[in-house]
Amino acid sequence: MNSDLPAQSSAEIDAVVRELSDIKAALDAHSIVAITDAAGKITYVNDKFCEISKYSRDELLGQDHRIINSGYHPKSFFTDLWKTIRSGKVWKAEIKNRAKDGSYYWVDTTIYPFLGANGCPRQFVAIRTDVTQRKEDELRLKFLAEELAAKNKELETIVYVVSHDLRSPLLNVQGFGNALVRACGELKEKLQSVDDPDVKRLFDTEIPRALRFIGAGIVKMDGLLAGFLRFSRLGRVALQIQPLTADKLVNTAAQALRYQTEEAGAVLEIGKLPNCMGDATLLGQVFSNLIDNALKYRDPKRRCVISISGRIEDGHAIYSVGDNGIGIASEHQPKVFELFHRLNPKKTQGEGLGLTIAQRIVERQRGRIWVESRPDEGTTFFVSLPAVASREGSR
Amino acid sequence: MTELPTILIAEDDDGHAFLVEDNLRRGGIHTSFLRFCDGQEVLDFLFGRTTEPMFDRSRAYLLLLDIRMPKVDGVSVLQQIKADPELHKLPVIILTTTEDPREVDRCHQLGCNIYLHKPVTFEAFSNAISQLGKFVSLLKVPRLKTEA
Repeated sequence: MNSDLPAQSSAEIDAVVRELSDIKAALDAHSIVAITDAAGKITYVNDKFCEISKYSRDELLGQDHRIINSGYHPKSFFTDLWKTIRSGKVWKAEIKNRAKDGSYYWVDTTIYPFLGANGCPRQFVAIRTDVTQRKEDELRLKFLAEELAAKNKELETIVYVVSHDLRSPLLNVQGFGNALVRACGELKEKLQSVDDPDVKRLFDTEIPRALRFIGAGIVKMDGLLAGFLRFSRLGRVALQIQPLTADKLVNTAAQALRYQTEEAGAVLEIGKLPNCMGDATLLGQVFSNLIDNALKYRDPKRRCVISISGRIEDGHAIYSVGDNGIGIASEHQPKVFELFHRLNPKKTQGEGLGLTIAQRIVERQRGRIWVESRPDEGTTFFVSLPAVASREGSR
Repeated sequence: MTELPTILIAEDDDGHAFLVEDNLRRGGIHTSFLRFCDGQEVLDFLFGRTTEPMFDRSRAYLLLLDIRMPKVDGVSVLQQIKADPELHKLPVIILTTTEDPREVDRCHQLGCNIYLHKPVTFEAFSNAISQLGKFVSLLKVPRLKTEA
């Protein structure tokens, strides 16, 4: 034993060896391990290596790693590997390998060079984790995302084309309907001298009524088609996400609805609102829509009070638009966001798209919108959006 | 007195074509109209590939162009007209069924002079067309050939 070193008892050495062998056992239990010499010849493989590569230990020892090369990676990939580890640095990457039976597997790999006394690598330890399942999931996910994007695009195209093509014949119904109105007017003039009560009834009641219903039908259908087009366009507009001053945004939306608010005799209470990240134009539309809904569905029995407030919770700005209106029965609540769903088609105006569009806007900005309501007491809509990060908030 | 331009209507829908012409006449536009059923027909006319009717470069024309048409659509027609050294002076009014902002932008970029959405609500269509009629009667439409 070298006299320069402090004497170590064999018990101490035993303890170090036991510790090292425990660490190795732990490593073997978790990872696929291989050791190669400086030239890359395999000098050690653990059981997990044999298991995943389906080669026996005898088949592997003395070989280099080309035995499991899948041919998936370009030559430069391995050139880079060798350059890195030969210079004594650690190399990490995900590698696709081929097992003896021809099946493929992915391993997240770290190669650690053990340096000799001269500073050159004397051997390399490769520690790998099987990530085949994750890789497959990633591919599957990517495929599904692409498929979903394609389907969405297809759907929007269908909505667009259908709305466009349906509007075209509608224009004719409207245009020639007008021609009929005009022709009937002229005919009525010419038949003024005729005293037949049947003719009078036709011109005074039946024809105008039929034309009125046709006209109303056209207006209704045109509104629906316009709504469809607006909805299909939403998926295509580019979002401009930026820190928003919610106070300003909500007040602008409220200001634009001042006439309707006054007409309804409503009171609008706007509290201090936290800021959020979002698209100013689109979120302005959401708040306008929520205020407009609160005005539309007010309870005539009491003065309409709409209160808007907000709070920060878990990195999200949560806004609430609450009213004391007629409320929504619990069985109808899930339906309020559905396309063209309207709770009171007779009493209120609208195409039944406002909340569907609001939901689409909020969800595209990684937000959430939901409703809480009690019939005869009122409704509160909640909108949650990412809060402004404090660093950005202080700017 | 300004001579009213001949109005070219490129429109695949017979009803729309009739209504446009009818409303323009009612709006006081007394001029000749030529109807084309698709983009190819109007291009053949403008590029002198037809004899009946024959395109007369010494006269004034105005094109009302629908976007969605079979064979060659309105956007391609607009593109070819605006790329031609002489034809690009022809005033083009896009008449379309939907006001898709992307479509509007694209047509403006290509150099369409006016973009008109066909409205469907009561009277709006005829109002828009007769407004167009007033506009057309005021418009000094350049002849394509500067020297006769």
